Amino acid sequence: MGKLSSVDTRIVSFIQALRGDGLRISLAETQDAFFATQSLGMLDREAFRAALRAALVKQHADQPVFDRLFPQYFRAGAPPMLSAAKELSSEDMHLLRMALESLAEEFRELLGSLLEGRRPADELRRGLRASELQRQIEALLAELERLGMPAASREQLAQLLQINLQAVLQEAAGEALLRRPARRPLGEPPADLLDRPFRGLSQSEQALLRKEVARLAARLRTRTALRQQRGEGPRLDSKATLRAILRHGGVPFEIITRRRRRKAKFTLICDVSTSMRPVVEFLLLLLYHIQDHVGRTRSFAFIDHIEEISDPFSQHRPEVAVPIVLRRLPPGYYNTDLGHCLVQFSARHLEALDRRTTLIVCGDGRNNYNPARAELLESVARRAGRSAWFNPEPPTLWGTDDSDMLSYVPQVDAVFQVSNLRQLSQAVDRLLP
Amino acid sequence: MEPGNLDSPGRVKDGLRQQGYIASDEVATVLYLAQQLGKPVLAEGPAGVGKTELGKAWAGAAGRNLIRLQCYEGLDETKALYEWEYAKQMLYTQLLRDKLQQVLAQANSLGEAADRLAAEEDVFFSMRFLLQRPLLQAILSEQPSLLLIDEIDRADAEFEAFLLEVLSDFQISIPELGTLRAVHRPLVVLSSNNTRELSEALKRRCLYLFIDYPDPQAELEIVRLRVPELPAAVGRQAVELVQRLRRMDLRKNPGISETLDWARALLLLNAEAIDPDTLEITLSVLLKHERDVQRARLSLAREARGAVQDVEPGEAPRWEN
Repeated sequence: MGKLSSVDTRIVSFIQALRGDGLRISLAETQDAFFATQSLGMLDREAFRAALRAALVKQHADQPVFDRLFPQYFRAGAPPMLSAAKELSSEDMHLLRMALESLAEEFRELLGSLLEGRRPADELRRGLRASELQRQIEALLAELERLGMPAASREQLAQLLQINLQAVLQEAAGEALLRRPARRPLGEPPADLLDRPFRGLSQSEQALLRKEVARLAARLRTRTALRQQRGEGPRLDSKATLRAILRHGGVPFEIITRRRRRKAKFTLICDVSTSMRPVVEFLLLLLYHIQDHVGRTRSFAFIDHIEEISDPFSQHRPEVAVPIVLRRLPPGYYNTDLGHCLVQFSARHLEALDRRTTLIVCGDGRNNYNPARAELLESVARRAGRSAWFNPEPPTLWGTDDSDMLSYVPQVDAVFQVSNLRQLSQAVDRLLP
Repeated sequence: MEPGNLDSPGRVKDGLRQQGYIASDEVATVLYLAQQLGKPVLAEGPAGVGKTELGKAWAGAAGRNLIRLQCYEGLDETKALYEWEYAKQMLYTQLLRDKLQQVLAQANSLGEAADRLAAEEDVFFSMRFLLQRPLLQAILSEQPSLLLIDEIDRADAEFEAFLLEVLSDFQISIPELGTLRAVHRPLVVLSSNNTRELSEALKRRCLYLFIDYPDPQAELEIVRLRVPELPAAVGRQAVELVQRLRRMDLRKNPGISETLDWARALLLLNAEAIDPDTLEITLSVLLKHERDVQRARLSLAREARGAVQDVEPGEAPRWEN
């Protein structure tokens, strides 16, 4: 391995910055980025950019991060610097030189290079302070006015200095950014995220949480599949048996059986009423990901009536689908009626349940003193192979005020309090023994 | 230009164009890189933006055989890689019974007979009885090939893991035959409609390409290239309308393939311009859900009346605590 070129080090720090912003970039991908840029060369900036993007960003949602950081590391957008000599007449240049003489030594050189459109030497730039430089520019312009430079030329010069100053400052900012240490590398969610309630999470925490929820949904599917695999009896595998017969010269010596793999199946019902709103986006997200991972899932949402929401979930990305559902079922004022919804569900959607289905109800069981109809939940749950209830409230609140939770608890196989990620994870683990 | 000579992104772009595929600079660059680095390309994007078409055009441009593997839920190795053709094996055994007797007849001892039989074993576990599925075809292909793995997001996660193994070194072990290595490393395109997250490991091994709906200009160019007979004015109008439909909140946005179908339909109807009647008859070519058709009709009528532009759905009501 040779020494890294300056572009290579730039790519390395760019990758660090991407990582700092939450992208997961492996060593292999870093290597790809190097190979890719090597085989394309640096001449075409767009190609260079496309190469880095294809090698490093593997998720459409992450592309904005890339697009934001790229210009900061690989400059091109900065306006080219202008040279005063090309813009001004020779008399004006003479005046300018005289005016420069009047400035302090340290700024003479700095402004001189700015005027010529050169980037100032490093040691000059290091001490550069925008406000002070601004003052010196004003002094220079005042001096020029005193020397009798025409207003138009002065105006032109002022603009040129501003443009060049901006370019230099942008560059300086870019370099400061490069030196900035990458933010905390992301990997496991921070420990406290597990225990924080769903309400009141920041944007980035929500993104993390979303990833975790997706992971949990995947785990739920695998576990369900495993469990059902164990549960089913063995069946004849005709192809393998045929081969076995072949091996024994046509004598059916050995019957080969295979455990049929049953796909997991879910029916999910979520309360989206006012009392649930703080956590509802998360529960819907959980529903979304379960449906995403498990082909045969049907999702329902209810407040005063129940509605199937499988369609928006299967057609949109989560960030679109969840708002659609929330818009379809706008929160009302004390209008939750699970009893009525159970009547509706029993009348219309019972075909969503069979003995292979796992039924999950998400809700707080707060029914606004409407009839609980727990007997309907019992018959619904009996049709499903397994049933569980996720309640965001702690058990001490169950049965208080308008909560009918206590009458629902005996009807389902398992009840979990789910108000943060750790509880959700435990519930998923214990849902299927 | 002869196919296969794709030694710069520009050449890739030209090659694709000759195959009737209009590629952006980014697409051309990524394909070129995939070729140079020997990496699979993962093309993601909404349905109907021409991901599959890209695979086909690339195969054409590179002068490679296209081998296509369509993914679906429940796809497994026997359908993707290989399978022994048991029935054929059995049939052969039956038919060759006499010959086998002959071979074995001269044996003096049981051991010798067994050895002779073992020597013939290769006959039954040879390529003759191997049903080659797309992955194995791509590996064994004598000509350089391009493997198009379509809609990988539909396959199960287990299959994805299996695919990883194949894609990383393009060799397959078949217990009866030993390890088969790729003669030519195939170019690989995976397409995904983004309906589920693919595993990190798979993404890591691929170059990523997101293909979105084209901008009006690119789409118009595609229409002109594919349906050259369509009058230019109609083409422009059609593309404009399709782009407008995509901004509505529809269940299924019309893809490029729908635009092309529609353009062909307009051509067949000899449409001079897209008037409300023509639109009424042909809207079902563009939109595949009854509800979408109704919604589009409503919105277009509203726009025609000069009322508000398509109503942007407001933010969902959020509960503040």
